[in-house]
Amino acid sequence: MDISPILNGFGVVLEPSNLLYCLIGVIIGMLIGVLPGLGPGATIAILLPITYGIGPVSAIIMLAGIFYGAQYGGTITSVLLRLPGEASSVVTVFDGFALARQGKAGTALGIAAIGSFIGGTVSIVGLTVLAPVVAGFALDFGPPEYAALGVLGVLLISSVGNGNKLKAIIAACVGLLIATVGRDTFTGAERFTFDSLNLAEGIDFIPIAMGLFGLSEILYNLEERHNQVHAPAKVGNVWPSRQDLRQSGGAIGRGSLIGFVLGVLPGGGAVLSSLAAYAFEKRRAKQPERFGKGAVEGVAAPETANNAAATSSFIPLLTLGIPANATMALMFGALLIQGIQPGPQLVTEHPDVFWGVINSMYIGNILLLIMSIPMVGVFVKILRVRPAILAPITVLITLLGAYTVNNNVYDIFLVIAFGLLGYLMKKFGFEPGPLVLAFVLGSMIENSSRQALLIFGGNPTGFFTRPISGTVLALVVIVAFLPLIRKAVRRKTPAPVDVPVDAPVEEKTS
Amino acid sequence: MPTSRTTSRRLLTGVVGAAAALALTACGGVKTTSSGGGDGKYPTGNIEFSVGASAGGSTDLITRALAQGMSKELGVSAPVLNKPGANGALNAKELQAAKPDGYKIALQNASLFTITPLTVSPAEATKIDSFDVITGVSRDDYVMATNAQSGFKSIEDMKKAGKTIRYGTTGVGTGAQLASALTFKTAGVEATAVPFDGGAPALTALLGNQVDVSTMQIGEAVENIKAGKLVPLAVFSDKRIPYLPDVKTAKEQGFDVLVTQYRFLTAPKGTPEDVKARLLEAAKKTFATPEYKKFNEENSLTPMEVSPQEVLSSLQKDTATYKEQLSKYGISLAG
Repeated sequence: MDISPILNGFGVVLEPSNLLYCLIGVIIGMLIGVLPGLGPGATIAILLPITYGIGPVSAIIMLAGIFYGAQYGGTITSVLLRLPGEASSVVTVFDGFALARQGKAGTALGIAAIGSFIGGTVSIVGLTVLAPVVAGFALDFGPPEYAALGVLGVLLISSVGNGNKLKAIIAACVGLLIATVGRDTFTGAERFTFDSLNLAEGIDFIPIAMGLFGLSEILYNLEERHNQVHAPAKVGNVWPSRQDLRQSGGAIGRGSLIGFVLGVLPGGGAVLSSLAAYAFEKRRAKQPERFGKGAVEGVAAPETANNAAATSSFIPLLTLGIPANATMALMFGALLIQGIQPGPQLVTEHPDVFWGVINSMYIGNILLLIMSIPMVGVFVKILRVRPAILAPITVLITLLGAYTVNNNVYDIFLVIAFGLLGYLMKKFGFEPGPLVLAFVLGSMIENSSRQALLIFGGNPTGFFTRPISGTVLALVVIVAFLPLIRKAVRRKTPAPVDVPVDAPVEEKTS
Repeated sequence: MPTSRTTSRRLLTGVVGAAAALALTACGGVKTTSSGGGDGKYPTGNIEFSVGASAGGSTDLITRALAQGMSKELGVSAPVLNKPGANGALNAKELQAAKPDGYKIALQNASLFTITPLTVSPAEATKIDSFDVITGVSRDDYVMATNAQSGFKSIEDMKKAGKTIRYGTTGVGTGAQLASALTFKTAGVEATAVPFDGGAPALTALLGNQVDVSTMQIGEAVENIKAGKLVPLAVFSDKRIPYLPDVKTAKEQGFDVLVTQYRFLTAPKGTPEDVKARLLEAAKKTFATPEYKKFNEENSLTPMEVSPQEVLSSLQKDTATYKEQLSKYGISLAG
């Protein structure tokens, strides 16, 4: 394996400006991890216009930092306030808060930080090793392969994620429909433009993402706001004792693996992996009754896993061009805005972007490890900003940002329209993720399949006889029937974790 | 809770400050331009260059190189705004509607005026009479190439292959599509067009053997030609291209196909003469700088720094030729 591009990637990261963007990203990430309500997805959506002006490497480094940084931040409030800042930190509450009440909040935070660091790092190493393998057959990916990958992506998100499958598929269909607006690239005909110049080039990704993720999240949270803030517990000694480390070592190792695998799987992501890691530790423990009463492993496992997953979910995006979850769909969009098509070609065509982003994660995780303990006090104070103050400011920044991308007032109205749509969707149990994802993949599916059919001379069997597209389409069939298989399996085994019913375990945007 | 009050207030100040800073930066992008033109003091504000293509493509790169040079010559800043869509038609429509004061100008592609009208309804076609041409800029010629593994060495070889040739183009209504369609028709080769969204995917599809042959801009293909991965079959210019001196023109090979892409600087119709003169002077000074010359070479661009009249007559001539050839061979460019 040629390691010079990897080393060059470190050169890219160590440029002072990129280091700064990495630092800004992880700080913002931790901050929004602390604030319940505003998730990494919403934040990335709101910040999209800003990335327009900075280079692709810096932009993605910063956005990635926000994503994995939020996994650290979410821990702090789970432990100290029994208030998970992120959906992926919900299970951390059980043992984290119990430890805090025993005066061991510092230990819990320390273990979580160490576990997060290890989990993240394991995933990055996996990403570093795996990516060039995929890139090795990058040129074999032609239009038929991209068409098949696109279909798989849309299907996975709508069928594997949490929540109502039918609603997810409906949302995905709406996304596909929106993707058809604009000029037909094959004939030049105008579709669904209603003679509007603004619609002629299709609907822009930025206002859709900002509206559906950013604005709708703010609206929804304003309504839902009834979180009582507890008095924060004392932090205490942060360096875990030798016994704590011994107890959580195995949990961290297993959490890294569980997180890595579930993060790569589309639809998995940080939430699912933290639940799975916690359940796994509890099941294999000699005294499972300790869990929920302050077991260190109960903090170590989910916190390690959610970070490992946050990192490994970059693998399908960067190597295949399939976003594994809604946040990765936003990253996909951010790259497209910069004129970079994520996919098998990325490693060879934009090695600086590819390795720059991956290597920035090593640095970002170190920064987070260093920051997470001393900054705890500061972040807890941020919690006291009232939503009534925070929300209008966020809305203002969102609308201003939407305007600055194209200097076009029309985009502001689009953001508002999609914000209202997103709010209504949430209210009626539709996740915005599948819509945005299908929108992003929609034009790829359409263009690639039409190109493929031209290449095959109109004969669709070519999709199935080519090795890669055939394999991907076989996966499509498997995934389509996965819910049925799962149902069959679930009937035999009882539910693994007893998550409190009122806990906010929605897939949200992470 | 008095303590938390103060904290929240302090934080609030910070956040509002940040928001204000953001608002200020946002305003920086739309700095008001004075109603210039005619008073001899042009330019007094920013000159906005708009690009009808996304960032990173050749139109974008040339605009940026030109804007940088002209900004220095004119002593004002020259922000470049990307307004991609419909092969540049969207940007052209906006420029057409802009005030003719010399503060909003754009580089445009010949193909938008010579080829696109052949694929869309007359109402949608962009017309050159809606603009004032300031100067010609450069030519960006097309090359047809095949993957070295295909075994084709010439256009004649494809005819002998006895199968339908699939060719990649850079999109519907582009010179790449027109040049290929005309060549295959005149050579009597059975062929189907596979349109891609620009040169990069067309090149990738060719390198991956997804298509048999692709026509692209020279700058997009030249590296792979030099590396021996691609075999060039023809260029479509009048004379051979200095960047690929060994590649025969289509004409040399007996096919009457002449398709060129060139770019020129335009302003909205009715821009005052003195403003146009000032812009032309700045453009000429930019063309003469070593940086700009080097830029042309690095991107395989051939200077075409000609007068507006020459640009207009080229556009007229090309449109007529293409139209005649398409109807003669019964080719439709729309899919």
